[in-house]
Amino acid sequence: MKPIFDQLAGLLVHLGEKRIAVLHLGGYELRFDWYILIMSWIVIGLIIGVALWLRRGLRQPVEEKPNRTQAALESLMGLLKTQLADSFASEQLALTMFPLVSAIFLYVLFSNCLSVIPYMVSPTQDLNVTLGLALLVFVISQVLAIRNKGFKKYVRSFADPIPVMMPINVIGELAKPLSHAFRLFGNVLAGTILVTVVMVKFAPIILPPVLNIFFGLFFGGIQAFVFAILAVAYINVAVE
Amino acid sequence: MLQEAQGAVSGIGGADLVLAAKYLAAGLCMGIGAIGPAIGEGLAASHALDGMARQPEMESSLMRTMILGQAITETTGIYSLLIAIVLLFVV
Repeated sequence: MKPIFDQLAGLLVHLGEKRIAVLHLGGYELRFDWYILIMSWIVIGLIIGVALWLRRGLRQPVEEKPNRTQAALESLMGLLKTQLADSFASEQLALTMFPLVSAIFLYVLFSNCLSVIPYMVSPTQDLNVTLGLALLVFVISQVLAIRNKGFKKYVRSFADPIPVMMPINVIGELAKPLSHAFRLFGNVLAGTILVTVVMVKFAPIILPPVLNIFFGLFFGGIQAFVFAILAVAYINVAVE
Repeated sequence: MLQEAQGAVSGIGGADLVLAAKYLAAGLCMGIGAIGPAIGEGLAASHALDGMARQPEMESSLMRTMILGQAITETTGIYSLLIAIVLLFVV
């Protein structure tokens, strides 16, 4: 199947050979995938561009009726606040964490929907991107737990109910970012591979865009919401 | 004719064996791994339907929680899909 993917690598879906950019730092070298990196920048630029473009419709005095842009943005903010941020334990934590959770949700949502545009690829198709986001949430939850509970109580929280359970609790804590990353990565990659295989083998005309909308937009949106909700849940559980 | 008989007796080996085992393993992995999430998601949907029939005004909240629970239940199915893909394309 590899030659087929190499053929399609320039067309629609990048599943062939990776172009690696190497960054040398002292004795070590960091490797980046060029294509995914550029797609990630495009997603960031798209979010900032849409935000700045929608901002023009908001210059209004307060006493007038809100126009469509303001109503839409207020409903989006209401969705983010009630669904994501209000699940936190305390109000102050919700206010602190609201930008982070909203940024994660919007980034994953935009990048899952990016594959609908031709010649574009979702950055979340690469395990490095999803693992980076999951590790970000993991580090934040552990640091917040240590800061809120104190180091001794944090270490002792791994030892309940019995100290014999400590390895199991540690493994369970380490498995959370792994499952967090693999869920998003597996869903997006599976949708991409499915659309590619259908396009190459079965029906090149009508079926691939329909499948792309179903697997890319619908499941991508659901997985973005699940990713953000789980990030909230992990931070909440670690802090309580 | 003696060489043919010898080839038929000695069997498959080497790279062909790896290829055959690879395809068989990928098929079995995804096939068996698809049973669990399907049953789990069906159970979640059936209990959500029970709740919606009992209290129709909670429909949207129940639907949202059902979709969330099903997306998390799907995770192990995605794990087995990943292993099948790794077996087919990477090994």
